[in-house]
Amino acid sequence: MIGRLKSIFPKRGSALIAALVAVSLSCGWVHAIMHEGITLALEAAFPYVKDGFKIREDNWSGETKSEKPLLVKHQLFRGNEYWFWAATSFPDSKVTVGIFDDSGNSVGLESFSKDGKAGVRVLPKKTGSYFIRVFAASDKHPKLDWGLVYGYR
Amino acid sequence: MKGRGAAALLVATAIPLLQAQGSDSEVPESIDLSAFPGEIVQQVVIPIPAEIFAVLDKVGDPDWSGGIKHVDTTDLSKDRGILAMSFGCLVAEGFIAVQAESSEDIRQIGMRSLTLADALGLEAAVKSHSMSLIDSAKKNDWLSVRAELDKTQQTVRQAMSQQRDQELSELVSLGGWLRGTNVLTQLIAEDFTSDKAELLNQPDLVRYFRERLTKMDQRLTRVAEIEKVAEGLGRIDALLRDERTLDAATIESLKEITQEILQQFYFEESAE
Repeated sequence: MIGRLKSIFPKRGSALIAALVAVSLSCGWVHAIMHEGITLALEAAFPYVKDGFKIREDNWSGETKSEKPLLVKHQLFRGNEYWFWAATSFPDSKVTVGIFDDSGNSVGLESFSKDGKAGVRVLPKKTGSYFIRVFAASDKHPKLDWGLVYGYR
Repeated sequence: MKGRGAAALLVATAIPLLQAQGSDSEVPESIDLSAFPGEIVQQVVIPIPAEIFAVLDKVGDPDWSGGIKHVDTTDLSKDRGILAMSFGCLVAEGFIAVQAESSEDIRQIGMRSLTLADALGLEAAVKSHSMSLIDSAKKNDWLSVRAELDKTQQTVRQAMSQQRDQELSELVSLGGWLRGTNVLTQLIAEDFTSDKAELLNQPDLVRYFRERLTKMDQRLTRVAEIEKVAEGLGRIDALLRDERTLDAATIESLKEITQEILQQFYFEESAE
């Protein structure tokens, strides 16, 4: 298993591998992999905390086929500003995240996509359900783990 | 010249927009929600009360301390589903106390959450959070208290999921949502504006909770209190279904319904 971890996380240290082994022993292999996407999405979110964004503990994660978009429905409140951050544990993959209103129109105001991480900012014009689209693509990996977190202020 | 000027202005306006979009070439301008070509993620994340309370603070000056209710949660002989919903309510109570910046209320809520967690077999998971809550409240570090409350709920839900108690975990979320919604209706009704009322426009969440209750193990839901919760959610769903703009009368109705629901399992032994 450690060999597989090393091939999956080539740029990461033995401490991370040890931590993942510990997590996998207590929670199961699948959880360990899924949590890496969340950890990296949180890493993308971290710089925004100093700007007053409160990062939610609850989040979304899973495994997806490369180039197969994912759609997450989520309730947002007018008056708050939100950032959504998505990531996979493969820094050489391309990740994008977009946000759409209930008519399917993009409402993202600002976004980035770099090194297997992406983010989008939104100021909802009305309170209601919105749709977050996560897209991950890789030439090397047919399957990718993913994590999505959000923050508000 | 006018045409060139307009073109230059258009380019100048477009450049920051393009820069803001960065290399995000795969994000489409629109998507067809009725025929999405990928995977629809079924997992639902319930917003925490603090998220909604933050907006109410921006549009008014609500009396948060008047919203806190100290409820007797010492009867631990109740059904586990009821205890789980009560735990969710207690976390929401904590969020109200944070808005009120009341360290004594946080202390009491922290201690009560430990007792409830013990009854649910989750004392070990909750203990460090409860202690951190109380410590941070003593230091008036409200940002940390708010984060710790979110962590507490998340830890409990994760612990329940690991114990294959996913349904109990959902009842924690439902309890938190009900208590948060109830205090919102109270504060919005006190000083109604349509901007504030819009915060309660959450029909999809109501439908989600209703659906989850119908799919839960009947040994958990065939309890009088939870049946009343399901019935109350049905009434809320009916109110929100056709209401694009929530008026004062609707907020009053939501307040009454959530009050009635909470009286089934949370407010019943109020120590007000």
